[in-house]
This record gives sequence, C-alpha cells and structure tokens, in this order.
Amino acid sequence: MPRYELALILKAMQRPETAAVLKRTVEALMERGAVVRNLENLGERSLPYKISKHKERHRRGGMLKTTVWFPGSMMNVFFDRLRGPTFDCIDHDGSFRT
Amino acid sequence: MAVRAVGTAVRRPWRGLVPAALWERPRRLQHQGQPDHSDQPIQMENPYKEPPKRCVLCGINVDYKNVQLLSQFVSPYTGCIYGRHITGLCNKKQKEVTKAIKRAHVFGFMPVMFKNPSFLTDPKICNVKYPE
Repeated sequence: MPRYELALILKAMQRPETAAVLKRTVEALMERGAVVRNLENLGERSLPYKISKHKERHRRGGMLKTTVWFPGSMMNVFFDRLRGPTFDCIDHDGSFRT
Repeated sequence: MAVRAVGTAVRRPWRGLVPAALWERPRRLQHQGQPDHSDQPIQMENPYKEPPKRCVLCGINVDYKNVQLLSQFVSPYTGCIYGRHITGLCNKKQKEVTKAIKRAHVFGFMPVMFKNPSFLTDPKICNVKYPE
C-alpha cells in the first residue's frame, strides 16, 4: 500500500473533543483498511484565511497530521465520509503520497 | 580544382618527421640511454578546481508544512512567489518550492495574498531590487 500523508484541519475545539475526533478519524481509517503509522497534533492556530464550511466561518483551527498506509482505491470513500455529516473537519484536502 | 592545385604545390616539410623524443631505436640500443621523461607533466586532477556551485537550499528538505521557510520566497506585499532570477535557486529546488507553496495555499497552511506578518523579519534570501 502506498504511504500517504493526511493533513486535517479541525474546528477549534477543547482538548477532550479533539481527542474524540482523533479517535474517530483513526477508527474510520482503520475501518477502510489503513495502517496508521503516526499521528501528530500541530496545535491550534489561526488560519491563514477564513474558511467557510457547514454555514460557519472559521478563523482558528486545530491541525492534525497523519502518516498512513492507505489503499489508494479507498481514497474517495474516505473523503466522502469526511465531507459528510461530521461537523468537525473543516478542510481535508491535504492528502498526498509521500 | 584551382584550390587543389595550390594544396599540392605547398611543401609540408614536417610530414614524415618524428620528434626526437619519439624516435624508434634499434632493439640493441633500446634500453640504453632512454630519453628522460621526468620533466613531462604528471597526470593529476585540477588542483584549482572550484567546488560545485550550490544554491541556498541544496541539501535542505523542502516541505509544504514548513511555512516559515516557504514564506522567505514570497513577496511580503502581494504574496507572489518570486522567480528564479530573484531567489537564485537551482532548477530543481525552485520547482520544489513552488509546488510546496501552492500546496500550502490549498491545504490552509499559508496565506495566499500576503506574507504571514510574523515572518516579516526573517533573513532575506532573495535579492529583490525595487525601482527608486
């Protein structure tokens, strides 16, 4: 499986909520047959530009970076799930092969 | 044809003459009094060779997450990526930097229309000349 780097921007949330989102993300990844190599929290910072998502304008966001071995065929499925009813993930475009 | 004629008329006295150092000796005298080759130049690598030219980022890994590094190659007023003649980077690194900057824009790491104010006091790498 090729190795991917996934950068997620989450809504600015408290610590326990971020942890919950982290857990959900990892579970979602593993469901689709990924092997999570490492997970980093790049902290909460103010975004370079305002991002509008789910009828809200965000100025601050928490950044997560994951290195994953992921089957490339599952890419679309995974992103559909991210774009779906979860309201925490603002920006998930950051995924590319390392 | 006229040229031909002129060519053959000119004498070439050096044809058939061999430099003294390379004259062939008869077998009997072969190992006697060999001409001294100690003043011939010694084969060696050029000692005055300059080290290969390196650009500022040679050996440094360029990453889309390293926003501070990428911001050094971006205009503070417009956020435009500087060209090769301003940054002074080699082909490969310029391409890497451009791609990383565009990635950082899309992924929400780096501002697009301006340079992040906290990076304005970073050391200047690019030689931008403003008209007076």
